[in-house]
Amino acid sequence: MTENAIYVKHATKHFGDFKAVDNLSFEVNKATCFGLLGPNGAGKTTMMKMLTGRVRSDSDNGRIINVLGYDPAKNELEIRYLAGIVPQENNLDVELSVSQNLYIYSKFYGLPHNVASRRISELLEFMELTEKKEARIRELSGGMQRRLVIARALINSPHLLILDEPTTGLDPQVRQAIWDKMRMLKKTGVTIVLTTHYMDEAAQLCDDLIIMHKGEKILQGHPRALISKNLETYVLEILNTDVFSTIEAKGFRTEETAGRLMLYGDRLSSLETVTEPLNAGDFFLRPVNLEDLFLKVTGRNLHD
Amino acid sequence: MTEAVLPQRIVTTPPPLAYRLYSVWYRHIRVYCKHLISNGFPPFVEPLFFLAGVGLGLGHYVGLIDGTPYLLFLASGMIAPSSMFTAAFECTFGTFIRLEFDKAYDGMVSASITVTDLFVGEMLFVGTKGFFFTLAVMSVFTVFGLVPSYFAILTPLVGFFAGMMFGALSLFVTSFVKTINHFNFFLTGCLTPMFFFSGIVFPITNLPEWIQWVSEVFPLTHSARLIRACCFGQFSSLLFFDILFMVAFTIVFGYLAVSRLEKRLIQ
Repeated sequence: MTENAIYVKHATKHFGDFKAVDNLSFEVNKATCFGLLGPNGAGKTTMMKMLTGRVRSDSDNGRIINVLGYDPAKNELEIRYLAGIVPQENNLDVELSVSQNLYIYSKFYGLPHNVASRRISELLEFMELTEKKEARIRELSGGMQRRLVIARALINSPHLLILDEPTTGLDPQVRQAIWDKMRMLKKTGVTIVLTTHYMDEAAQLCDDLIIMHKGEKILQGHPRALISKNLETYVLEILNTDVFSTIEAKGFRTEETAGRLMLYGDRLSSLETVTEPLNAGDFFLRPVNLEDLFLKVTGRNLHD
Repeated sequence: MTEAVLPQRIVTTPPPLAYRLYSVWYRHIRVYCKHLISNGFPPFVEPLFFLAGVGLGLGHYVGLIDGTPYLLFLASGMIAPSSMFTAAFECTFGTFIRLEFDKAYDGMVSASITVTDLFVGEMLFVGTKGFFFTLAVMSVFTVFGLVPSYFAILTPLVGFFAGMMFGALSLFVTSFVKTINHFNFFLTGCLTPMFFFSGIVFPITNLPEWIQWVSEVFPLTHSARLIRACCFGQFSSLLFFDILFMVAFTIVFGYLAVSRLEKRLIQ
C-alpha cells in the first residue's frame, strides 16, 4: 500500500475578496513527484505556500492540510525542518561565497559543523558546483545560481522538496540536468511538489499533477493518462491563413486562433489526407502533448 | 465516506529557540563582516569630527556645564547616538532591502526559522552592533583623555541594549513602510530632533518644561543618561527609571514590530 506524504482537503484561501485557492483537495504519495500547473494567477504558489505555513489557509470547517504528519497551522517549524523549499526567485546572499551560503543555511537547521561540511561537499558534488565552491554569487551564471538554491534546499536532507518554477529562464542543458537530479532524489525516497509553466517539465517529472484555473482544480492525473483521456492522439496545425477556407475539416475537432487552424484526430492517416494539397511549410502534424491539454482546459486567452 | 488517509508523522525536533536566534544572528554577522571596514569606519569616525568641530570650536565660548568642561560633556554625550544610528539604519534600510529586494527573509523563513526568530535575532544583531560601536567611540575618546571614569567600561553594555531598543523602534517603523523613501521621514523627523533634544549636545534642564517632558519620551535621552553616568562614574538611583524605560520600550515596540512584520511575511 502506498503511503501519503501530503493530504489536502477543501483548502481555500481568500486575499480580501479575491479567491486565490478554491476548495482544493489532493493527496501526494511518498517518493513521487506532484505537479501544480496553471496560468499565472491560478493559485499554484499560494497552494504551495499553504503547505509550509507561509500562507495561512482560510479556516473553514472540514479543511485538512497535513504535511508529513503535521498541520502547517500548528507545526510550521517541524514541516519546514523536514522540507526543502526552492522559491520562485533566487534569494542567495550575494556577498557570500557558494559554500558560505550553504553553511549559513546549515545553521538554520542546527547542523553540527562537521555534518554541515560533509553535507556541503556532497551537495556541491551532486549539483556539479564543486569547482565553484569559493566563488562569489555574482560570478555564477543563472543556471549555477538555481542549482545552488536547490542545493541549499537539500542541506537538511529533506523528506519533501518543494519547488516553485524550478527551471524558469534556464537553458536546456541546465533544465535537463535539474530534471535528472529530481529523478535521482525521488529514487532515494524524497517526495517532490513543484509548480511549472513548462508542460514538458511536468510531463518529464510528474507522477501526478493537477491543472488549476482561477484557484480551482480542473483536471488531475498522470500526464500521459490525462492526455489520452481528454485529447485525440494527433493534431494538425495549419499555419497558412490563406488556405483555411479550403480545408475539409469534417470529422475532426477543430480550433482556430488568429494565426492557426488546428485539427485534432486519432488516426494519423486521415490527418495526412488533409495535408496532401498543402505546401510543406503550411502545416505541422504532430502527436498531442500536455500543452495542448493545458490550453484546452484553461483557454487560450491571456490571463494577466 | 472513506476515512482520510493522513500521512504518518515523521518525528522530528527542530533546533530550540536559543539556537534559532543564534543562527539568525550568525547570518547577519557573517554578511555584515564581509564589508567590515566600509561598514564600520564612517559611523565611528563621525563622532570624532562632530566632537572636534563643535567641541573645540563652540566649546571655546561655552565654558563649564554643570561644573564640567564642555568638551568632556559633549564627548560623554556623543557615545550614545552611535548605537542609535547604527541600529536605526540597519533596521530601516537594511531590513527593508532584505524584506523587499533581496528576499532574504523569504529564504530564512523557508528554513526552520519563525518570523519571531527572524526579528528577535535581528534585534540581537543590532544590539551587538550597538555594543561594538559604543566600544569603539568610547575607546577613541578614552585615548584622547575625554573619558574620566573607569566605569566607562560599562558603556558598551548600555550600547547593546540601546541597539536593541532602537532596533525594535526601527523595525516597527519599517513595518509600515511601503517604499524605501519613506524612511526619510523617520530619520529626519524623529532621529534628528532626538539627537538635539536628548541632552547630548546641551543639557535639557534649562529648556522649557514641556520640551523636557517630550525629551523624557525620547529613548535616546535614557541611553545617553546611562552612558554619561558611566563616563563620569556618577550614579544615582534615578537611573533605575532609565533602565526600566529602555526595557519596557524594547519589549513593547519589539512585540508590535514582530506582530506587524509577521502579517507582512505570513499572509
